[in-house]
Amino acid sequence: MRIDSHMHINGRNINWGWEHNDLIIEAADKLGIDKLAVSIPANRRFPMRDENPFDYNIPTMDEIRQDNDDVLAAMNRYSGRILGYCYVLPGYKESIDEIDRCLDQGMIGIKVYNQYKIWDPVFYPIIEKSIKEKFPILVHAGFATSPEEWDFEPNMSHAADFAYISRLYPEAMIIEGHIGGGGDWEWAIKHLREAPNIYLDTAGSVVDEGMIDMAVRELGAERLLFATDMTMESNVAKIMAADLTDEQRNDIFGRNFQKILDKRGL
Amino acid sequence: MLLDINAYIGHWAFRQLRYNTAEKLVTLMDKFAIDKAIVASINATLYKNVQSANEEIARETKEYADRLIPFAVLNPLYAGWERDLIRCKEDLGLKGLRLYPQYHGYSLTDKNGLKIIDAAAELGWVIQVPMTLVDRRQRHRWDLAEDISPAELETIISRRPNVKWMILNSYGIDIENLPSEAQYLIDIANPYYQTLLRKEIPRLINKAGTHHVAFGTDMPFRIPNAAIIKLELLDISEKDKDKIAWANAEKMLK
Repeated sequence: MRIDSHMHINGRNINWGWEHNDLIIEAADKLGIDKLAVSIPANRRFPMRDENPFDYNIPTMDEIRQDNDDVLAAMNRYSGRILGYCYVLPGYKESIDEIDRCLDQGMIGIKVYNQYKIWDPVFYPIIEKSIKEKFPILVHAGFATSPEEWDFEPNMSHAADFAYISRLYPEAMIIEGHIGGGGDWEWAIKHLREAPNIYLDTAGSVVDEGMIDMAVRELGAERLLFATDMTMESNVAKIMAADLTDEQRNDIFGRNFQKILDKRGL
Repeated sequence: MLLDINAYIGHWAFRQLRYNTAEKLVTLMDKFAIDKAIVASINATLYKNVQSANEEIARETKEYADRLIPFAVLNPLYAGWERDLIRCKEDLGLKGLRLYPQYHGYSLTDKNGLKIIDAAAELGWVIQVPMTLVDRRQRHRWDLAEDISPAELETIISRRPNVKWMILNSYGIDIENLPSEAQYLIDIANPYYQTLLRKEIPRLINKAGTHHVAFGTDMPFRIPNAAIIKLELLDISEKDKDKIAWANAEKMLK
């Protein structure tokens, strides 16, 4: 069983570069991916210092609801193949209600982006809710080593941020997004050794040889979740290329994520 | 048959590579059924006198002449490169030239770049240019090399259409900006080139034709099987797949 634990779909507010969401299913079929957990974080960051917030379009709560409605629609259209993450911007007081609305309709967890660090107290009510209701939080993440990347995403969470929140909330199921998302993945893996309840998803456009092997060696296969984040073929290849036992490969490809879903009886 | 036009041997100063000797690279090729690979030295990125790297790679690949096709790396800003070029071909038996202008401080289109391109072309050599060696988002603080821009590559291919070009790790070259008579191969190693979903490789084939696309992996930096899966999943004839897998490269190397 293969479950892509970090994927996206087109919605009314964003097109990621493919014509129709049917192509996701077509690609998944060719790559042996049974299910894909998707979200639509259409508005993905706060404006930067030199950008006018009026021009930039900070996601409104209405837009966030639209994004989530589009995920719900895809869950219905591709029933059994598409799982949904509820995208929230934690600063909105309506976020808790939005999570309830989405989970009640069958979503499996939440997705957050880079507007706040994962240790920002704005997250605490959401993390506490996730612990109580046993759903995972997938967090956009990375440790970019180039200053221009940091300028672009100054509040992007990195592995040390996850290690910190792990100590505060050791029961939470938090997923650090895309180890191959562009950044120093060796640095990230080493920090995550200190954060046993943080999962790491394997997605991203960086497909460096040895990445998954190091993650398994340092963290254990049970903490890795197969994911593509839209780089589909290369990320299947990444798991296939690593020196793993069949058990480890199967755990990463789907069993670990299924265990997370099982906690809520999904 | 698979002929990888984009492979390396040597030490990368900023990250350990596990399969970076000729012997280890061949074991990786065996694991993924890659028959042959064009290799050039990674050491040559940072050596001042890159000829030392050419001597190394000639020695190291000798034992694997049936699997590895060694290319030279030269820097037109360094003393004696013209003589080194001849020695690489005649004495060391190297088969082509890979350029790292982003690490050696020149541009493909400046007078130094043009000089070495013309000299290598005069020998009938293929010239390879990797657009990038490492994802800039994870660069070491001392690795300040800028990726070569698609515009620079489009310009040099247009100015030297008769040179036999192999463009590695590229993304974003606008085929419409290249002259129709240009001789070039673009490899599919860059992860932004996908067969499925966004279909960048099918679009590249539609615009450039299968005769301008080649199999390349970027091993041992990247996993080699990503390119293999992308190739296998292409919805084209077996004959066209063979062109990409090896025939286009073999033809250019002749």
